[in-house]
Amino acid sequence: MMAAAKKDADYEKDRMPRVELTESQWSDEQKAEFLRRRRARNFLLLAALGGFCLMIYVIAMVKLHEYGQMW
Amino acid sequence: MSNQVTDMRHDASFAPPLGAEPGDWLALLKPRVVSLVVFTGAIGLLIAPGHINPLMGAIAIFCIALGAGAAGAINMWYDRDIDAIMRRTTTRPIPAGKIEAGGALGFGIVLSVISVLLLAMATNLCAAAVLAVSIFYYAVIYTIWLKRRTPQNIVIGGGAGAFPAVIGWAAVTGHIGLLPVVLFLIVFFWTPPHFWSLALYASTDYEKAGVPMLPVVKGARHTRWNVFIYTLILFPLALSPWLLGLTGWIYGATAFVLGAAFIYYAWGVLRDAQDEKGVSLSKDKPARAAFKFSILYLFLLFAACAVDRLV
Repeated sequence: MMAAAKKDADYEKDRMPRVELTESQWSDEQKAEFLRRRRARNFLLLAALGGFCLMIYVIAMVKLHEYGQMW
Repeated sequence: MSNQVTDMRHDASFAPPLGAEPGDWLALLKPRVVSLVVFTGAIGLLIAPGHINPLMGAIAIFCIALGAGAAGAINMWYDRDIDAIMRRTTTRPIPAGKIEAGGALGFGIVLSVISVLLLAMATNLCAAAVLAVSIFYYAVIYTIWLKRRTPQNIVIGGGAGAFPAVIGWAAVTGHIGLLPVVLFLIVFFWTPPHFWSLALYASTDYEKAGVPMLPVVKGARHTRWNVFIYTLILFPLALSPWLLGLTGWIYGATAFVLGAAFIYYAWGVLRDAQDEKGVSLSKDKPARAAFKFSILYLFLLFAACAVDRLV
């Protein structure tokens, strides 16, 4: 029983303390920069998705107009 | 490992990365390599007989660029360990800590699939299949299989950069003709002297990373001979489209002049002042000049091919 308790204590001692490796360690400037980058990434993804849809639309229109069929 | 973690824990300046800028994702696509790929792909499209709607042509070139970029992203994902060692590549997004490795791999795979599907929709299955093969060739056969195993990595891997002209041609015609195959062979045989000229003065980087480039494994003297021999092989090969009657005299004359100039540069590499181990005493000045000229060579040769077909 004692041995088990000691083992637990040793384990707790050796164990890394819980550290939140997240925004909590950022300064206000870093948080603002993170939000700016995330917004830029999201807009880029939105633009890429929109461009992809537009391209498929254009391909469909041109193919249907030129050949009367997609494939 | 535990010490490292403890240090990080007590370091007040340590914070998780802030995330990547859009430019970092773009850098994953190797824009400089893509620009040459776009150029050769566009030439393949221009010289092909037949008609393609200009919009579809533009989308085909976009797909070639996207596929090449996607293969580049997969290459950066796999090579992240050696990229962190080589001075030339330490600033790439993954070793610089801007993009996570898994994210780069996912990005590469998604773009590969999109580029192949879009090309199949916009043009035909033949072009899409060649694009898929070229991505597989670069990402798997060259990057994963050959690059770290053999000093001949560049010779066989050269095929990866040779595909765009074939894809461009196939996008218009729906099949693969003799001219794009010859253009494929030209890029295939151009790649070794091009890359080995670079490797001659960047070999310390490759040696540090354990990449068996020819100068690292066989030495600089052997590499210089190989640069020269491949340039000699390239000369008649580059003339062959004209000799076979596939192009006219504009291309023939350009290929002759450029080929002679490339041999001159390769001769300079071979005759470079060296010590007894073959190490350059001129800081590889001729190799640097040959590397720069090799880019101009391919650009002008393909431009001449397009001009010849269009005039």
